[in-house]
Amino acid sequence: MAPGRSRKRKIEDEEEEREAPPLASSGSAVDPDESLEQSLTFSDTLVALQIMRAQFPRIEKVSIKPFVLRSQLYSSVMDRTQVDRELETLRRAKTIRIFKLNTGQDDHAVMFLDDYINQIDSVVKKMEEKKLLNLEAFDWFKTHVIDTRLEPNISHDDLCSLLSLGGRVKEEHVTLLINGGVIVRQLIDPGMYWFAIPSIGSVLKGLSQGRKELLGILSRKRYKEEMMATLEKKRLRLSPLDIRFHLRDLIGSGHLKTVSTPSGLVVRVSKD
Amino acid sequence: MWKEIERRESGKICPHLFASRLKSRRVASMQLSNSKDIVSPHRGSINSLQVDLTEGRYLLSAASDASVAVYDVQQPQDYEGGGLIAKHKSILVLDKQHEEGHKYAVSSAVWYPVDTGLFITGSYDNSIKVWDTNTTQMVMNFKMPGKVYTTAMSPLATSHMLIAAGTEDVQVRLCDIASGAFAHTLSGHRDGVMTAQWSASNEWVLITGGCDGAIRFWDIRRAGCFRVLDQSHSQLGRRSPVLSRVTAKASTSKVLLGGQNTSAKTGMALRKLSYGNGTKQVSAGKIPAKTSSKQRLHPGMMSIRDRATAHYGAVTGLRVTEDGMYLLSTGSDSRLRLWDIKSGCNTLVNFETVRLQTNKAIQLAISPDSSHVFVPCMASVKAFDFWSGKTFMTFRGHYENVNCCWFSSRDQELYTAGNDRQILVWSPFVSQEMEEEAALDRDCWSD
Repeated sequence: MAPGRSRKRKIEDEEEEREAPPLASSGSAVDPDESLEQSLTFSDTLVALQIMRAQFPRIEKVSIKPFVLRSQLYSSVMDRTQVDRELETLRRAKTIRIFKLNTGQDDHAVMFLDDYINQIDSVVKKMEEKKLLNLEAFDWFKTHVIDTRLEPNISHDDLCSLLSLGGRVKEEHVTLLINGGVIVRQLIDPGMYWFAIPSIGSVLKGLSQGRKELLGILSRKRYKEEMMATLEKKRLRLSPLDIRFHLRDLIGSGHLKTVSTPSGLVVRVSKD
Repeated sequence: MWKEIERRESGKICPHLFASRLKSRRVASMQLSNSKDIVSPHRGSINSLQVDLTEGRYLLSAASDASVAVYDVQQPQDYEGGGLIAKHKSILVLDKQHEEGHKYAVSSAVWYPVDTGLFITGSYDNSIKVWDTNTTQMVMNFKMPGKVYTTAMSPLATSHMLIAAGTEDVQVRLCDIASGAFAHTLSGHRDGVMTAQWSASNEWVLITGGCDGAIRFWDIRRAGCFRVLDQSHSQLGRRSPVLSRVTAKASTSKVLLGGQNTSAKTGMALRKLSYGNGTKQVSAGKIPAKTSSKQRLHPGMMSIRDRATAHYGAVTGLRVTEDGMYLLSTGSDSRLRLWDIKSGCNTLVNFETVRLQTNKAIQLAISPDSSHVFVPCMASVKAFDFWSGKTFMTFRGHYENVNCCWFSSRDQELYTAGNDRQILVWSPFVSQEMEEEAALDRDCWSD
């Protein structure tokens, strides 16, 4: 049993090594092999956003543009109020867009506007291949709705009136937008929609499962703590996102806390 | 300490500054009191605490076993531990044995704001009772349509004696003590109303927070509410002083109401639709709105259409600052938000709360100079700095969830109570130099 397992681990390591060089060439300003300890905190929200966007893991099956979770920003910049205010100014300047996610309490994803537009374009391309009609709804969406409505939600009436600035709107257009994944119906309020990132479903599932797995790994330890350097090298079974992503997210949302020790940072499960 | 007194004496610092520095130093040294103890007779979790506003002497607590108790927090009844620990027992207890007592849990008990001769209790047995403190008799009984979650009376009121009652019904009712009847009801919420606070600057303004996540401002002289707080309307910190705002308005378009676009036509259209105007918008190829806009509403009731939410979840706690300028709200999405009342915007101060209890209303406390906020977070009480949101202190002492806290500004003491049926007192640390007294031999066996 043991030799088989070690062989599997060797194959995994080789795969990691092969993946590492392509990543290193793509990350321009930052070295992705840099340990999380060194790149844990930044001075400015925009700098943090850009670096975390560059560090976003590449997932094979789903083509998704990088997004950053709000809790990751809280763990990276010292002052949370400053993060909130800078996000607000960036949002008003239409540099980024904020989406509310359905994975638990008050999760928000931050995405650069250019990435979002590219994501919508790739969805449109896929739908064109399937030869669906009424695709001009996405153009109307891009030009009229995203530009004017900066909040993460929109009511049905507002949506229709903004889309109608592009042309005659039918129910099929709204249905198409929902099928494309850019709009999601709210559960509590039938007349309101959340803006959403298309094809993000599997990633969100991986996000919640990865969180549970990482918290489980640490809770099973005797003292519920682990050195960050050793924790970084682990790979999560249930999540396509890398462990650095989850660590930043959990530290920012308060479930984990870091303690600095003479031999480096230690990650501990926080008692409420 | 002596240097401060000397500087005050010589006039280098003004008296107000001296007092505030002393108070903030005392607040920073608060810990579980080693000289004061409140003995609680309750056998159920304690839901609300209030010290009276006139003298700051009597503490009123309401519990889930239908009991209400009054304590004197300045004069103890008994001393223990060789005179070191003051025991404050209850001077008045109202429980199920009382012939007119409540039958189910009492969710809130508040003093009559003018004097301590009356107090008002609201309970899950669908009634609000007004009691005479000295004779312990019920004076008035108001029947409510559902469980009463909160009761509030305005501390500034000189021309009315209305009790605002929030129940599991969607309407907020105003009960009049002077006449013994209901004055009127305020409709607009879409779910039960969990918290209600009167404004600290205007005796006619009531602020309510509901289980639908909305915070509404009502002027009780008019129909409908005049403002609904929306969490996406935000401003960056404090509003700028008036003069700089006026000059800024002339040059740039107003960005204070965040998130609104600047293009004229669509801006007007959006604003009209979101504030629920009855007239239909005519534009090419528009799908008719699902809600029939044919029904004509009273102009004051337009606010019913406004579905903005202040929290992603129910609003569980509200508190207005003493100067009446800011409002703090907690929600079941475990967020604490600071609102600027005049502009109605979220000031985007991020308070580091991880989890807040979601099923019950919690009572916050704010220090009078608006420097610290005390929030019950599960089994501990955290003090946050008001404008930066950083955790200033954590008070861990309760065994179970804390429901309510009250900050007494006279002595800089914090009273907290929760599901473990205890009322704990947190007071500034004063070193005990009375060990000599305790060394006196008080044993009663013969030598």
